[in-house]
Amino acid sequence: MADLRKAFSKIYDQYVEKIYRFIFLKVNSQEVAQDLTSETFLRTWKKFSEGKGNPIENPQAFLYQTARNLVIDYYREKGKTQTVSVELTPIIDPGENLEKKAMLRSDLETIKVALAKLKENYQNIIIWHYLDDLPISEVAKLLGRTEETTRVLLHRALNSLRKKINQSASGTA
Amino acid sequence: MTDIITEKKLIGKLRELRQIKPNKDWVLLTKSQILGQEEKYRSPISIISVLRVFFAKPGYAGLVIIFILVSLFGTFTLAQNSLPGQLLYPIKKISEKTQAVFVSEIDKPKTSLELASKRLEELTKVAETNRVQNLAPAINEFQASVSEAAKNLSKIDATSSDPAVVKRFVDQAKKIGEKVEEVKSLGVVIGEEGLEKLEKASSKLELELLVLSLENMISDLENRTLTEKQEKILSQMKELLEEEKYSEVLELFLVNQ
Repeated sequence: MADLRKAFSKIYDQYVEKIYRFIFLKVNSQEVAQDLTSETFLRTWKKFSEGKGNPIENPQAFLYQTARNLVIDYYREKGKTQTVSVELTPIIDPGENLEKKAMLRSDLETIKVALAKLKENYQNIIIWHYLDDLPISEVAKLLGRTEETTRVLLHRALNSLRKKINQSASGTA
Repeated sequence: MTDIITEKKLIGKLRELRQIKPNKDWVLLTKSQILGQEEKYRSPISIISVLRVFFAKPGYAGLVIIFILVSLFGTFTLAQNSLPGQLLYPIKKISEKTQAVFVSEIDKPKTSLELASKRLEELTKVAETNRVQNLAPAINEFQASVSEAAKNLSKIDATSSDPAVVKRFVDQAKKIGEKVEEVKSLGVVIGEEGLEKLEKASSKLELELLVLSLENMISDLENRTLTEKQEKILSQMKELLEEEKYSEVLELFLVNQ
């Protein structure tokens, strides 16, 4: 058990920021993001510790899938759409310090708002590839698509995002 | 942002969203909560196994007792450095409350002022280290301690207490007020109610001290042999004292000294 705990501790340290950000960008609330992130890791730890000698094969995929399911459940339970409150929510995690708050500018806010307006698949592919630095092969695994299809999807996602930002800049959004 | 954003610029901006990070304290706490759950399930077994050793080999009893005492002492010491909202903070509060039971009525103002200063130190530490999660509990703890200190200060009768001790209380209350201003400059919003009560109680004591020293001064002058002019001044001083014009009494004395 001590070895398992040690191994999970490493997984936690490696992914906690990414999973938190992944959720935060979708729920736009520090409290909800914290709740859903801890629930994601708690479920993963249960699965991980039950597996004993044969724990989760791909912890990253499991974590993202669990996080996605929890976000979907959250919106289903609340009867909300993902874009409702995004404009009202500050881009930064309120837990971050004031200097960092000052660093973030309104154009990042625009990007975040536009990102939240994209289809879920487009949001995920952009977050995974550009924010979490996952290579196309990894993103393809997470999406359950071929690398070729993933590249096309990424291209479309980026175009869609750019369109939304430009629309917002010209005031037609 | 420019009207038309290029793909390169967009990717660059997307990468800036990496600045979104969870609070470090929350990250550590969540980790310990998740990984600590198994420990909780295992703990009854551990206690049973310890007891088994204890009964099977009485020779180990001493070691077990030492181990338990060291653990308790360690937890207690760690708790003393904990901050509001942290896991061990309730232990610190319990220990303070236990000590407060043995404090006499006379020492209560002193103890409550010391606790208010302690709570303020904790709040300062929380604000300086930007522990946002601990901020609300730290403010609440400080406000409660200030209200308690104000309540105890308002019960003091300066005329029947040691003036030097009362002066120390007044100074201590003033220091708290000054330090609160420093904490506020860090952007912390603290409710005024308790602080106003403390300031009111301390100002009342300060005034009582002043009156007391003026009365002593007058009584001292009454026992001296005075010239006609000095007698006149003394009588003026008494009148002003009756009229509660304390600063004028002092001024009259200092000018004609």
